[in-house]
Amino acid sequence: MGLFAPWFLAGALAVGLPVWLHLLKRSNQDPKLFPSLMFFEHRETSSVQHRKLDFITLFILRTLMLLLLALLFAQPFIRRSTPAQRGERLTVVAVDRSFSMRTTEGGTSRLDLAKTEAAKVLSGIPGGTKGQVVALSGVLEAMTQQVADPNELRAAVTAIKEGDSRADFGVLARYLRTLREQADIPLEVHVISDMQKSAMPPGFTDLRLDNGTKLVLHPIGKAQPNWSVEGVNAPQRIYDTKTVHVAATIAGFNAPASTRNVTLMLNGKVVGSKQVQVAENGRGSVEFIGLEASYGFNKCEIRIDASDTLAADDHFAFAVERTDPKRVLFIDDGLHSKSQRFFTAALTSDPDSEFAVESLRPEVAANADYSKYAVVVLSEPANLPSNLINALQKYVERGGGLFEALGVGSAVLNKAPVIDLPIQGTKLAASSGNRFWTVGDVDQNHAVLKNVERFEGVKFYQAVTLGAGEGQVLARLSDGTPLVVERRVGEGFVMAYAASLDDRQNDFSNKPIYVPFVQETVKYLGGGGVSQPVNLGVDSYVELRAGTQQQGVSAEVLDPDGQRVLSIEQAASAPNFVLSREGFFDVKNAAGRRTLVAAHADRRESDLTVMDKETQEIWAATGSEVEAAQGPVESGLNAASTPWSLAPYILVLLLIVALAESVFANRYLRSSIRPEETMTKV
Amino acid sequence: MIQRFLDPAVLAGISSLDLVAKTVVDGFISGLHESPDFGFSQEFAEYRQYMPGDDLRHVDWNVFARSDKMFLKRFKGETNTLVTVLIDASRSMKYGSRGIEKLEYARFLAASVVYLAHLQRDATGLIVFDEEVRNFVQPSSRQGQMMRLMHAIDQAEAGDQKRTDFVRPFSHLADFLRKRGLVIAISDFWDDPETVIRAVSPLRARGSELVLFHVLDPEELQPKIKGSVLFEDLESGHKMQVSADYAGREYKEKMTAHLEAIKKKAEGSGIEYFLCDTSKPLDESLRRYLAIRTGRL
Repeated sequence: MGLFAPWFLAGALAVGLPVWLHLLKRSNQDPKLFPSLMFFEHRETSSVQHRKLDFITLFILRTLMLLLLALLFAQPFIRRSTPAQRGERLTVVAVDRSFSMRTTEGGTSRLDLAKTEAAKVLSGIPGGTKGQVVALSGVLEAMTQQVADPNELRAAVTAIKEGDSRADFGVLARYLRTLREQADIPLEVHVISDMQKSAMPPGFTDLRLDNGTKLVLHPIGKAQPNWSVEGVNAPQRIYDTKTVHVAATIAGFNAPASTRNVTLMLNGKVVGSKQVQVAENGRGSVEFIGLEASYGFNKCEIRIDASDTLAADDHFAFAVERTDPKRVLFIDDGLHSKSQRFFTAALTSDPDSEFAVESLRPEVAANADYSKYAVVVLSEPANLPSNLINALQKYVERGGGLFEALGVGSAVLNKAPVIDLPIQGTKLAASSGNRFWTVGDVDQNHAVLKNVERFEGVKFYQAVTLGAGEGQVLARLSDGTPLVVERRVGEGFVMAYAASLDDRQNDFSNKPIYVPFVQETVKYLGGGGVSQPVNLGVDSYVELRAGTQQQGVSAEVLDPDGQRVLSIEQAASAPNFVLSREGFFDVKNAAGRRTLVAAHADRRESDLTVMDKETQEIWAATGSEVEAAQGPVESGLNAASTPWSLAPYILVLLLIVALAESVFANRYLRSSIRPEETMTKV
Repeated sequence: MIQRFLDPAVLAGISSLDLVAKTVVDGFISGLHESPDFGFSQEFAEYRQYMPGDDLRHVDWNVFARSDKMFLKRFKGETNTLVTVLIDASRSMKYGSRGIEKLEYARFLAASVVYLAHLQRDATGLIVFDEEVRNFVQPSSRQGQMMRLMHAIDQAEAGDQKRTDFVRPFSHLADFLRKRGLVIAISDFWDDPETVIRAVSPLRARGSELVLFHVLDPEELQPKIKGSVLFEDLESGHKMQVSADYAGREYKEKMTAHLEAIKKKAEGSGIEYFLCDTSKPLDESLRRYLAIRTGRL
């Protein structure tokens, strides 16, 4: 037992206090007069023992408490041998199952080679030593608990399957650090991987291993030339099949310059084929014009004849949806016809515009079939029929997009319909001492406003004073009044613009940026808010429901093999799901909208360049470097064992003694008070 | 409210003893309105049919005139009694833990009894004693007797003399009680019960009724001490270390046994016994006195 702070033991002198209180103080008493002592017996033993032993328990407890307190400050410890000194060790076998492990080496996949190597490692583990098998990809999957059963470990290695995720050694290092902290046992880690350079985390410090972690790297395979379909640029939706552009990028890694045949496939059929020159360790692009896709979702694919060792990246899946141009319903009471003209002109100025505008009066619009409209525009709503408001409310809740231009005419309303924001009146810039307002604050990260150049040069003379309420303010006038507010209502979005669409109250419609504002707004709202991408990488998340409003409504996901991915519980409550493999996923979200999502592996996996030897050695040394650095400092007993503090145990003991002291002291007090209480009751 | 005026601690604040007695007794009487069993002096008690041998002076002639039947009209307390109050003024009576000493309580009690007896026109006397008889007032119902008694009670102070023998003073007291009557002894009776009863028994020798008011302080009944305390005997000066455990357990048992023994032996000897706790109002003691006094009708 050692004492770091023996001077604190001087605190044990405080024991004198209870000694004084219990023994010495008691002997110096003034006599108390009493009428007669005839009932008191003069018993020497009783008197003396009472003086010394009457509250001996209390005395002992108090003394013990002070001694423990002094001992606690002295920080006593004993030395114990560490698991390392006892020869204990946890062997972790990490097998890389990332996309690149599909590469073949002499006809055998790298994953199979890795599994063979893992089996060899496991056979070398001494009997009784605990081990764990983990599978490494984008996430770390523990295939076993920490067990000493070699058969279970071997079975776990056999059970590892190829994956489509990207390896990340940073994830592995973080797991090992956590394991080292929790298990407090030396680790021997065998990483069996193709050691791709692309699996390195952004910073080398993320690879750092804690002291006591021995890292053994088992590189599988070597750098090989590889061609890959790196990316495809295709529209998510197509309206005119003849004008569709599909561009593919073919990349060569560690590969000489070559010509590759690129094939465009549509629903399993070849619809186009071209050749592309790929530079040495470079890229080549190819473009297909026209895609005779059928209505609805189509499974498309770009293939190359690479004939390399990683065939899995020689094709790239993507999905397109063919649909008719979307209709935009413009509801206007006809009092301000310029608004519609400006809006329509801006929206249809692009010849490839996917939108067509229809106009209806409010009283007619109440009975319209809203399911055929992608976006509804309310221009200066004033006296709207209640059934129209109800219809718009339902339309938005089901995923529709609504744009409200709240001109001065809307000031008769107490609140903006559907978006439910308070309208506090109108205000005139001239009456507040300004000739006009500009836009003071813009959320430029928002899809709608990122191209409007902060409303540069736009002057607002009159605007509706709109309360932000629960909405998100995207732009404000220079006096702080919300100008553009967005709010999610059910599955859809509503955007309110606190000015007119024409040039009566502002000159926005006369500025070039009016066009992108209108187009982006309609695009944004037409897709039901932020449009869900249909071409995603593996390990990406696909949203199934918005918030908790759709809890209980079933969603459905079919994987590329047509199997249901979600359990019943997940289907009813999961907000999203992860794309775990390549291929086409048929997704029906909680709002009932069906989407075909194409998932493709991260193309960084196609670069089979191996992490250089020096980096591997430095990484392997991070765990043992610290150990080596600390070695010479520790010597003698310190090197042989580690201090094990007794403070927590003393603290617990102290608490118990303190509680016992309280109980005894309370009993003592009660026994003293009891006679008085009795008298009071009488 | 009445209870408050009978509280010894309140009475201790009144300087005049006769005022104390009046306060106690008047307050006490007011509290007796619902108790028809007790009455005073010429208060009407009952009608009883005349029996041969009855004193004709008690016949209600008005009733006879109307009904031709002879009835005797009876009054409560119409028989004068000789009341002698004995106050123990020994040094142990000087003890008090609650702001009032036992002797002070005894004085209040004696004064109240004297005042009550005066209202009933009883001849009342007083003996103050410790080891010896310190003061003696001959029982009388004459004018000014009450004031004499009050003065004597007021003068009763505990002497410095230490008493160790309880029997000695009582052996002399019998000489002062020549007539039959009611003897009220107020003391803390700190002695063996057998000795106490043997000492007071001679007071009944001439057929007197004897009432023992055993005045004790709450601390004597149940000492409340913390830890260990050094006690000094008021009379003997002897010192002893006493623990809370002993006081709370063994002393209490012994005290209870002592009180039980005194009570039992007193009852066995035809002596009325009443324990007076100085923390309690006087009314219980007066009630007991009146019960005994009424029994003498």
